[in-house]
Amino acid sequence: MKRIDIAARAGRSLRQAKARTLLTSLAIAVGAFTLTLSLAAGEGSRQYADKLIASNVDEQSLFIAKDAALFGEGGSQFGGSGLSEYDPDAATRGNVTFKQLTAADIEAIRAVKGIKEIQPLYQVAIKYIKFEGKDTRYTSEVSTYGAGIVSETLVGSLPGRGEQIADGDIVIPEAYLETLGVKDASSMLGKSVAVTVGRTSSSVTSEQLAQAFASGGVEAAAALAQPEEKQFIYKVRAVTKQSATALASSSSVLIAPSQMKAISEFVTQGTAGFQKYMAATAIVNDGTDPATVKAVLEQKGYPTQTAKDLQSLIFTIVNILQGIVIGFAALALIASVFGIINTQYISVLERTQQIGLMKALGMSGRDIAKLFRYEAAWIGFLGGLIGSLLAFVIGTAVNPWVTEQLSLGEGNSLLIFQLIPIVILIVSLMVIAMVAGYFPSRKAAKLDPIEALRTE
Amino acid sequence: MIEVKAITKTYGKSKNAFKALDNVSFTIPTGTSVGILGRSGSGKSTLMHAVSGLDKPESGEVIIDGQNILELNQKAVDQFRARTIGFIFQSFFVQPNETVEYNVSLPLEIAEVPTARRTQKIDAALEAVDLSDKKNSKARNLSGGQKQRLAIARAIVNEPSIIFADEPTGNLDSTTGQKIEDLLFDYNRRKGVTLIIVTHDEELARRCDMIINVKDGKIESVKEPAELKV
Ligand SMILES: Nc1ncnc2c1ncn2[C@@H]1O[C@H](COP(=O)(O)OP(=O)(O)OP(=O)(O)O)[C@@H](O)[C@H]1O
Ligand SMILES: [Mg+2]
Repeated sequence: MKRIDIAARAGRSLRQAKARTLLTSLAIAVGAFTLTLSLAAGEGSRQYADKLIASNVDEQSLFIAKDAALFGEGGSQFGGSGLSEYDPDAATRGNVTFKQLTAADIEAIRAVKGIKEIQPLYQVAIKYIKFEGKDTRYTSEVSTYGAGIVSETLVGSLPGRGEQIADGDIVIPEAYLETLGVKDASSMLGKSVAVTVGRTSSSVTSEQLAQAFASGGVEAAAALAQPEEKQFIYKVRAVTKQSATALASSSSVLIAPSQMKAISEFVTQGTAGFQKYMAATAIVNDGTDPATVKAVLEQKGYPTQTAKDLQSLIFTIVNILQGIVIGFAALALIASVFGIINTQYISVLERTQQIGLMKALGMSGRDIAKLFRYEAAWIGFLGGLIGSLLAFVIGTAVNPWVTEQLSLGEGNSLLIFQLIPIVILIVSLMVIAMVAGYFPSRKAAKLDPIEALRTE
Repeated sequence: MIEVKAITKTYGKSKNAFKALDNVSFTIPTGTSVGILGRSGSGKSTLMHAVSGLDKPESGEVIIDGQNILELNQKAVDQFRARTIGFIFQSFFVQPNETVEYNVSLPLEIAEVPTARRTQKIDAALEAVDLSDKKNSKARNLSGGQKQRLAIARAIVNEPSIIFADEPTGNLDSTTGQKIEDLLFDYNRRKGVTLIIVTHDEELARRCDMIINVKDGKIESVKEPAELKV
């Protein structure tokens, strides 16, 4: 018997048992629904991450560290016994000790061919920040202005890509305006901002302390041990627009690298952290593949990540999350497989006579088996279609709302439905259903026609 | 020509062994109508199953047109049945949820007759049993006589050379039964098809060219065409 005739008969016999067919395929539809949504969410997240990286990270940039552990690649002394060899260049964060880049390392990296510029990652904690015309002291984060990406500004202007802001400039994010109670953003332009940092005078020796005590008494000694403070004054150059895909500018003020360096060196002066950096960002010459520079750096002992690596890191996280959802969907599918086996067994029993007749008329056992497998495939097809269609309709309906709740920003959406993965999904469901239909179909194929025809 | 040579069919094993067919032999010339007559449980159906290749007796030969069908493998037997044999069963065995058309189409699909030639064959078969107007009805909505006519249409649609009918009128009233008989004998005569009717109705058997009497799995008597006509 020809395949097409078998498939047509399979389809008709399912249509005659509508309720049963529908119920069996609904079990598959649940799995298909979940899978379709998770595929769409995965695609949405990947595209979002893609945008996020593209608008925040120069693709020519490299992230360089001394310790591969910074990239979650191990190689460091995680926890362990709690007792590990002292390294003067290492920094401890929580339980983890990281090796740090020294000024010599930075110079060594700068010398590598293909590196256009290198910027150590300055991490400074300021004491407070004051805005002209306000008495309130605020806490704020201070970060380095990244020349790689030009942010959109609300007011003021920023230099072109690759160029830095001046030493006296500061860029503040739109989000600050609300806290400051400023309605007219342009009124901020040109205002001065004072950043106050402090350091504990760890460099004070006991002799100095004794001397101060001798000359000025307790007060002089206390003053010497008091944290020293220093103010850095800047003028507001621009206010950056809030953007859903911008990572850095939303929560900290930005100053030029030279200023970050000055602040950082003031704060760490005389401590072990002086001129030590967790990481550095380098820009590779245009036309040079960042991957080749990365290879050179890694050979020299500097674990490096390219923008692409960063992307794949985020993708890995998305993939893991997606994998978990797919796992649950797979469980639903396994349940539905038993549903198919059950229904098809009952179907074989109910249609013993029909099977007997077809065999008597010369239909081979193989074709009988195919008939039942094709019926199962139809069920899989139907379930896949119902599930993915439902997911598409519901997903499309709630997408704007979900996207808004997650504040992904304009032009982004959490769920992105693609035709090809859905088609592949439906085809695989048909295959799974056929596999499930294997046992019942074999039972049908083995029926003895005489026995089958005897049953009334 | 059908030659049955010393076939024996035993059901069950050792102590429970029961010989449903015991050393049965006979010959049926092509185009003959044959009545297999016997009491209930005598082995008529078993004989029909053995001769049509549905069942395998443990010994003997069934030679149809020179080919011993008991020697064929499963695939070849299936093909043989699909191409040369038409079946009509006592309890119709039509597929109630399929339309009349698709019921009749089944043997054509099994024999892999090209789609283009099917419609014409189906129409001819339905015409022969006067069911043309029911072509698109569901088989379950037909009356008993119509169902049996449908079964006949299905049996003749692929123009078999042998038709087996197991109690074709057993479930019908006498007038309707008469019509079905007429249909079968008419087809047998017009097409020269060998017609083998299993029955316990002596009157029906007497309309046949040849009568084979079965009793307790043995041939009691064979009335050859010549004898009958005398
Ligand atoms: N599968 C089987 N196992 C055991 N005995 C069987 C089996 N099939 C048939 N028989 C026995 O073989 C004998 C012949 O059965 P068969 O069906 O050929 O009778 P029949 O002549 O067609 O009767 P009826 O007119 O009632 O249809 C019966 O005694 C029956 O009980
Ligand atoms: Mg019988």
